[in-house]
Amino acid sequence: MTSLEDKFEESKKLGLQIVRETEDDRLMTLSVGPQHPGSGHFRFTIKVDGDYIVYCDPDPGYVHRGEEKMCEYRNVIQNIPHLERPVIHDSNNITYSYSLAIEELVGIEVPRRGQYIRALASELNRQVYTLYWLAIYGIFLGHSTMFMWPTGDRELFIDLLEALTGARVTHAFNIPGGVRNDIPDGFKDRCVRQVRYFQKRLKEYEDIFYNMPLFRQRTEGVAVLSKEDAVKLGVAGSVVRASGIPYDIRKAEPYDIYNEIDFKVQYMKTGDCFARSYVPFLDMKESCYIIEQLLDKMPQSGEVRAKLQPNPKGPPGEAYRRVESGRGALGYYVVSDGTPKPYRVKISVGSFRNMLALPYLLVGQKLADMPAVYWSLNYWPVEADR
Amino acid sequence: MATYPQNFRFGEFVGSLIWLILWILIIVTLVGLPLIFIVLFYIPLPPIGNQVLTPYLFLTMMVDPSRTIPIIHQLMTTDLFRVAMFPGFTYAALIAAVTIFVERKFLAKMQLRIGPLYAGKIEGIFQLIADGLKLIAKEIIVPSGADKPMFWAAPIMFVSTAAAVVALIPAAPGYVVADTDVGLLAVFAILGFFPLIALLFAWASNSKYPFIGGLRALHQMIAFEIPFILSALSVVILSGTLNLTGIVDSQIQSYWFIFFLPISAFVFYISSLAELERIPFDLPEAESEIVAGWLTETSGMIYGLLQLGSYVKTYALAALFVVLFLGGWAGPMVFPPQIQTPIINIAPLYDQQAANATLWFTLKTFGVIMLMLLPRGISPRIRIDILLHTGWYKLIVLAFINIFVALALIYGGILGPGGLLVR
Amino acid sequence: MSTNKDEPEKPAASSPPIPSAAKPPAPAAKPPAPAAAKPASGAQPPKKEPEAPPFEKGLVEEIKKKFGESIKVVFIKPLRIKIQVEPNSIVEVATFLRDSMGFDHAESVGGTDYPKDGQIEVIYHLGSYTREDLGAHILSLTARTSRDDARLPTLINVYKSVEYHERETFEMLGVYFEGHPRNDRFLLPEDWADIPPLRKDFRIKGR
Repeated sequence: MTSLEDKFEESKKLGLQIVRETEDDRLMTLSVGPQHPGSGHFRFTIKVDGDYIVYCDPDPGYVHRGEEKMCEYRNVIQNIPHLERPVIHDSNNITYSYSLAIEELVGIEVPRRGQYIRALASELNRQVYTLYWLAIYGIFLGHSTMFMWPTGDRELFIDLLEALTGARVTHAFNIPGGVRNDIPDGFKDRCVRQVRYFQKRLKEYEDIFYNMPLFRQRTEGVAVLSKEDAVKLGVAGSVVRASGIPYDIRKAEPYDIYNEIDFKVQYMKTGDCFARSYVPFLDMKESCYIIEQLLDKMPQSGEVRAKLQPNPKGPPGEAYRRVESGRGALGYYVVSDGTPKPYRVKISVGSFRNMLALPYLLVGQKLADMPAVYWSLNYWPVEADR
Repeated sequence: MATYPQNFRFGEFVGSLIWLILWILIIVTLVGLPLIFIVLFYIPLPPIGNQVLTPYLFLTMMVDPSRTIPIIHQLMTTDLFRVAMFPGFTYAALIAAVTIFVERKFLAKMQLRIGPLYAGKIEGIFQLIADGLKLIAKEIIVPSGADKPMFWAAPIMFVSTAAAVVALIPAAPGYVVADTDVGLLAVFAILGFFPLIALLFAWASNSKYPFIGGLRALHQMIAFEIPFILSALSVVILSGTLNLTGIVDSQIQSYWFIFFLPISAFVFYISSLAELERIPFDLPEAESEIVAGWLTETSGMIYGLLQLGSYVKTYALAALFVVLFLGGWAGPMVFPPQIQTPIINIAPLYDQQAANATLWFTLKTFGVIMLMLLPRGISPRIRIDILLHTGWYKLIVLAFINIFVALALIYGGILGPGGLLVR
Repeated sequence: MSTNKDEPEKPAASSPPIPSAAKPPAPAAKPPAPAAAKPASGAQPPKKEPEAPPFEKGLVEEIKKKFGESIKVVFIKPLRIKIQVEPNSIVEVATFLRDSMGFDHAESVGGTDYPKDGQIEVIYHLGSYTREDLGAHILSLTARTSRDDARLPTLINVYKSVEYHERETFEMLGVYFEGHPRNDRFLLPEDWADIPPLRKDFRIKGR
C-alpha cells in the first residue's frame, strides 16, 4: 500500500472490481448525500461489493455560491462579508488570507497591534472550527458524548469571539489594513481563563474519545494515506501533517507576526484515520499555547488598522497569499487591474484539495469506515464548493 | 401548513364546539346509557363475595369506590390481569416509558446538557407523551414498491414478539403469565424472531439502506446468539432447571449466581446489548453509515411501535438478567405484614410477599437497565468485523470458561442438590 | 496555439508587466517576514528595478537553463515566481519542475479571462512539500490559450493533484484539458446551460 497504483492493484486482488459501470448484480450503488446523515451538503456515489467499497465518485456543488464571480462585482472591502460565508465557523481565517493578498496589492502596512489581534482572532476561530469538526467526527462514529462536549465548549470560544468582534460566527473582523476594532476591556483575562479551562477539557476529550479502545480499533490502520500519496494528491492541512509531512503555513511561510511565536508543527507519521483525527486535536492543544503567547506579546496600545482611502486600489498586479486555516492552506489568488474591484479572485481551499483523497482512501475500505474516513479528511463541503 | 377558512369567526367556532358537545351528550344519554343497562341486565355477572354483581350494586360502586375492592381482587387472580397488567404488558410498557425518560436525562447529565425540560413543567417528564402524540399525529408513509402487508405487519409483530418475551418472565412469586418448564428455552426461541422481523421489514421497505441494516441485524444476531445461550447455559447447569421461577428459587436457596458466574453475567450483558442494538452495537441502525438502518423508511406510529418494542425488549432482557444472575425478586423484607389505608381500605388487595418481590424485582431490573444505558454515553459504534470477531471468538470462549466453572461447582458438591452452599 | 512574441505586453492593463525581473519594490528579504515584503510606497512597476531575491532568481535561472527562451518569466517576487510557457511545452516544463525542482504538488489551478486579448490564462500554483527550502515558495506556471477554442494539455499525468482543479477550471472557464479523463460538470448545477460563468462576458443579473 505504498502508492495509489498498488492500492488499486490490491483491491483488484481482493476480487473487487473498480469502476464497473456494467449492471453487475454484485455491486450496490449507494448515494451518500446530500440528504444522508453522513455527508453534509455533499454527495458521493459509492458502490459496495458486500461490505467493501469498490468505487467512489464525489459530486460537490450543492452549495456552490459563485464567491469568485461575486468578488469581481464588489470593491475589496465589500467583498469581506460574503467571502466568509463558505466557512462561517472559520470566518477569520478565510478573510485573513484575502486581507493579506489585498494588502500586498494595495500596499498597506498593518499596525503591529492589529497584526496580533488578527492572529489572536484567527487562532480562536480555528479552535471553534476544530471543535465543531471534532463534534461531527464524534457523532459520525456514534459517540454522542463527543458530539455534545465539543459543541458545548465551542460555545465558550464563540462567546469570546463575540466579545471581540461583535458577532457570533460571521465576524467580518479581518479587513485589508487590520482589524475592525480593538479588543475590549478585560478580554485578556477572560481569554486566559477560557484557555486554561479548555486545556483541562482537552485531557478529558482524550480520555473519553481518543483513548477509547473501540475508537482506536475503528480508526487505527484504516485508510492509510502514505507520505508519497499525500504529496502526490496535494492534500492540505491536517491530512498532510498526519501523513508525516510537517507542513504548516504558519511555520513554512510565517505571515504577520507568526515568526515571533514559538510553537511546534504537530504531525504524525502513520497517515491512518487515527492520525488524521488526532492531528487537529494536537493543533488545538498547540493553539492554546499560541493564544497565550499572543496575549503576552501583544503591544499594549496602538492602532489596530491602517487608514485606508475610501476605495482602496493598487497598481495592476497579482498576489497569492496563504494562511493556515482549520482545514489547511487557504490561499487567495487575486488579480488586480488597477480598479477598486478585483479583476479575478481565486480561492484555493484545503477542503477542495482534500476531496481528491476521498476516492483513493475509500476504495477498498468497509462501508462502516466510510464516515470515519470521509470526515477525517477535514472536509467542509461549503468551503469546497465556494 | 395551517390554513384558516377565509371567513373565520371565533364566535362561530365556539358555537360549533357547543353544538358538538350537545350532540355527544344527547347520543350518550339516549344510546349509550341504555346500552350499558341492557348489557348489565342480560349478561350474568360473577358473584363477588356473597353478593351477585347486579346493576344496582355496580352503580353503587360509583358512589362508594371501596365496594370495587372485591372485584379488583377477583380480577387480580385472572389470567387477563397477568397478561395485560402486572407482569405483562402494562408493567413492561411503564418501565419502558420510565427507561426512555431516564435515558434522556441520564445521557444529558453525562454530556453536560439539560435534556428534556419544558413538556410537563417538572424536568420535562411528559416529553414522552408529547413525542407519542407527535408520532400518532404524523403521516405514515409507505414507500412505493414496498411489500405493503409485510410493511404494516412488521411493527406489530415486533411489539408482540417483545411482549411474548415479557410473558415468560416471572416478576414475583406466582406472577408470571406463562410458567412453562422450558421457560428459558422459550425466551431464546422467541428472541430468535427479532432479526427475522428486522430482515422482513427491511426487505419489505424496498430500499437499500434498510436492506443493509437488516442484513447487519441478522449477522449480529447470529454472532451473538451462541454466546448468549451459552452464558445462560451455565445458569441452567447450576440451577438444574429451565423454568425461570425455578431458577429464581434455586438462587433464593443458595446465593445469587452472579457471584459464581461473573464471566457468564458479563457475556450475557454484552450479548444482550448486541441483541438490543444498543450503542456500541447499534450497527443495524448506524445513522452516519446507513442512514437509519432498517428503520430508514419508518415514519409516524410505525416508528413509534418499533421504538416501543425495542424498549419493551430492553426491559425483558434486563429482567432476564435479574432472573438469571441477580436472584430475581429475592431481597430483604421491607413491607409490613398488614397495611391500613385511610378512606378506602385496600387491605384485601395487599400481599406482603408480592409487594416486596415486585419492589426488589423492579429495583434490580432498573439497575440493570441503567447499566445497559451507560455505554451510550461513553462508547463509539463498533465496526462490523470487530463485532463479529468479538462474538465468535471472544465471547464464546468466555462463556465456555464459566460453563466449566459451573460444572466444577456442581461436581465439587458446592452447589446443586445437597451442596455445601445450599440452604 | 500561436502566441505572438509581444503578446504578454498586451495584458499590461490587467496583469503585471513582464520584464524578467520587474517586481514590486519590497525589501526582497528572506522568507520570514512577508509582512514587510510589501509593494510599499506607490509601486509604479517600471520606475524602480529592485534586485530580485537571489534564491528565487536562482530557481528561475535553473529553469531558464533548461528551457531557454521558451519560458517567459513574468515576475520574481519574494517567495513568488510566475513563469509563462507555451501550451505545447507545459507538460514538459511541469515534468521538469516536479522531477528536478521539487515542486511536487499543485495547490490550485485557476484561470483568468482576458477578453481584450481574446485569451484565457490558466495558472497552476505549484508548491513543495518535500523540499523544505521551497516550503514557502509558490511557483505560478501559466499558459495562455485563445478564448474561442480554449484548449490546453492536461497536467494530470504530472500532478495528480490537479484532477479536480482542472475539472473546475473546465466548467468555470471553458478550458478543455486535452487528455483529462473527465472534462465534466463538477460544481455547477446539472442543468447548467450557459456560458462558463467565470468568463468576463457572463454577467450576474442586475449587476
